[in-house]
Amino acid sequence: MKITLFMQLVLLALILLFNGCSEKLVRVMPYEKEHFADPKMSLSPLAERAEHEGHIFLIREASAGGDSAYQGGCGCR
Amino acid sequence: MKTLLLFLALGLTLNAGISEGDKAPNFTLKTLDGKNSHTLQSLKGDVVLVNLWASWCKGCKKEMPEFFELQKSYKKGFKIVTVSVDDTATKSQKFLNSVEKKTGIKTPFITLHDAKKSVAKSYHCAAMPSSYLIDKNGVIKQIIVGSLDASDIKQLKVEINKLK
Repeated sequence: MKITLFMQLVLLALILLFNGCSEKLVRVMPYEKEHFADPKMSLSPLAERAEHEGHIFLIREASAGGDSAYQGGCGCR
Repeated sequence: MKTLLLFLALGLTLNAGISEGDKAPNFTLKTLDGKNSHTLQSLKGDVVLVNLWASWCKGCKKEMPEFFELQKSYKKGFKIVTVSVDDTATKSQKFLNSVEKKTGIKTPFITLHDAKKSVAKSYHCAAMPSSYLIDKNGVIKQIIVGSLDASDIKQLKVEINKLK
């Protein structure tokens, strides 16, 4: 297949385009994580409250366990 | 043309990082209070430890008191330059003030502010905190990724003494 000048230019444009998706541009760099490190960005910003809510959830659902490596979640503990 | 495109693609894709043995990229930054500015070049002749940190980074906070002690143990020939990548300098200053209170030592090193993260970019900072031990000739001798504890500081002192 003969590669025309137009195709070469398209290829060049594609290379430039996809380099825009390079890791350095897309990834949040370690030094740019100020807002991610904010406590309010945490899934459970209030650790004590999260523990309490977890406890209530277990009672409400009438099940216990399954949230650690050594309990099966059968509700027998 | 094919070769040209191949080289162009390679050139654009490969992002050469910084490594030990490379010349330390120079920088000019203002101090946290914004009153003075410092360049890395002006510290040539001294062994320098450039530390990239932020007040939101737990590891940075952990190692900072160690740096206070480290700088205090060297009066000549070794300088620590801490570069804060916080968005605002007041956060960094507030944290340093708390370390001053805790250790009872007045900040003994150069504290610079880099809101644009230009130093972190030019040093290809891979994690926070990162430290770069630079010899008298401005060559990077050691790249330390992550926070340092007391035993790491002991080892670092051996390296510093070798370079002095």
